[in-house]
Amino acid sequence: MAIVFDRVRASRHGRPVLHETALTLRERRIGVVGPNGSGKSSLARLINGLLLPDAGSVRVDGLDTRADARAVRRRVGFVFQNPADQIVFPVVSEDIGFGLRNLGLARGEIAARSAAVLERFGLAHLAERPSHALSGGEKQMVALAAVLVTEPAIVVFDEPTTLLDLRHRNRVRAAIAGLAQTAIVVSHDLALLEGFERVLVMDAGRVVADDAAEPALRWYVDHLS
Amino acid sequence: MTLPLYVPGTTRLHRAPAGLKLGLLCGAGIALVLTRESLVLAGAALAGALLLRAAGAPRESLRPRLAGLAGVLAAVGLATGLLDGWDAALAACLRVLALALPALAVTLTTRASDLLDAMERALRPLERLGLVQAGRVSLAVALVLRFVPEIAGEARAIREAQAARGVRAGPVGLVVPLIVRTLARADAVAEAIDARGYPPDGEPSRPAPAAARPRPETPPRTPPEGGSPA
Repeated sequence: MAIVFDRVRASRHGRPVLHETALTLRERRIGVVGPNGSGKSSLARLINGLLLPDAGSVRVDGLDTRADARAVRRRVGFVFQNPADQIVFPVVSEDIGFGLRNLGLARGEIAARSAAVLERFGLAHLAERPSHALSGGEKQMVALAAVLVTEPAIVVFDEPTTLLDLRHRNRVRAAIAGLAQTAIVVSHDLALLEGFERVLVMDAGRVVADDAAEPALRWYVDHLS
Repeated sequence: MTLPLYVPGTTRLHRAPAGLKLGLLCGAGIALVLTRESLVLAGAALAGALLLRAAGAPRESLRPRLAGLAGVLAAVGLATGLLDGWDAALAACLRVLALALPALAVTLTTRASDLLDAMERALRPLERLGLVQAGRVSLAVALVLRFVPEIAGEARAIREAQAARGVRAGPVGLVVPLIVRTLARADAVAEAIDARGYPPDGEPSRPAPAAARPRPETPPRTPPEGGSPA
């Protein structure tokens, strides 16, 4: 599974957010750090086609995010910073099933797979809970379960621990560590990225450092903190 | 805490098919609009109250909803009374009550996903005629059910923030920031829906911008992959 940025330039709301960038990502654990507004979230959004390049192309497993948008989104799950915006159904179990409905699965299979993923993350007791009544940490875990139930090959996390207390931060960390999938994690939480195979450091829309976690994070702290 | 719209349970109303409940609700709505007899409307309102009781929802869950309904009734009654007379006001209030109570009973006892399935089935003939997109209509309804409590929570948060700063804002002072926040949030929710593979068929719901051609004067940079930190 490779994600290839081929001379990609991108902008959001008319403002350039990524200058010409070429990257090939093959590692299973990839972190992205950088100051606010450095282009981290834009880089993450380019991977599943939520943001399309102004120039160049992004390919996931050979699929172009512009031409093969649907196929790319089946392969790439996305966990947002604010899970309250990601949960679109009033009851937890219904929300978990939303992605599966979009895959056209039968009701029985949707129910079985939803129950299994809730059980896996210790969320079975929340199945019938109203979505808006969950705590921030519970919402983030439900959002993660709702993404993983569709079994994407890659999961992109956009600052998944920013709004969480220590206990739920640890739960999300453990969940990411236990994933069989490729995980690309955008974060200000440097401890979350420790031990990652590769970390990209971004600044002003450019990848300014790219290495294993330890040297890349050290460089980030020394130069951009 | 904001109250849920659906309350899990095992009553007959919970077990009744969503399509049947929606169909009866629509039929009752049409009949009530065509009726002007206060006695008939009063009977329908009483039937609605009994239906709501049969939903088995806890009293603490019903009280704030009924308080909201009382506010609506007061506004409708006053406006109709001043414009059309008090007999018409009584009929209008009874009609609203007879419509709102069973609708509340259906909302309390029906999961959103079941409502969506029923609506999609009902709208499919219209979809074949090219008049509506059933999936989008039903998703819109689900979003309303999901985000009404959240928006109520936002309104409370705005009021608290204003109070903390010593501001006693009127309705406009509440509504304007609430609309701004809600619209900003709508963008984020639309993005999340796209990311979750909706719509199931066809292209993503938000149109993709056209690709700009690369500027020939921009030379390709050496990719920083695999190297040491810059």
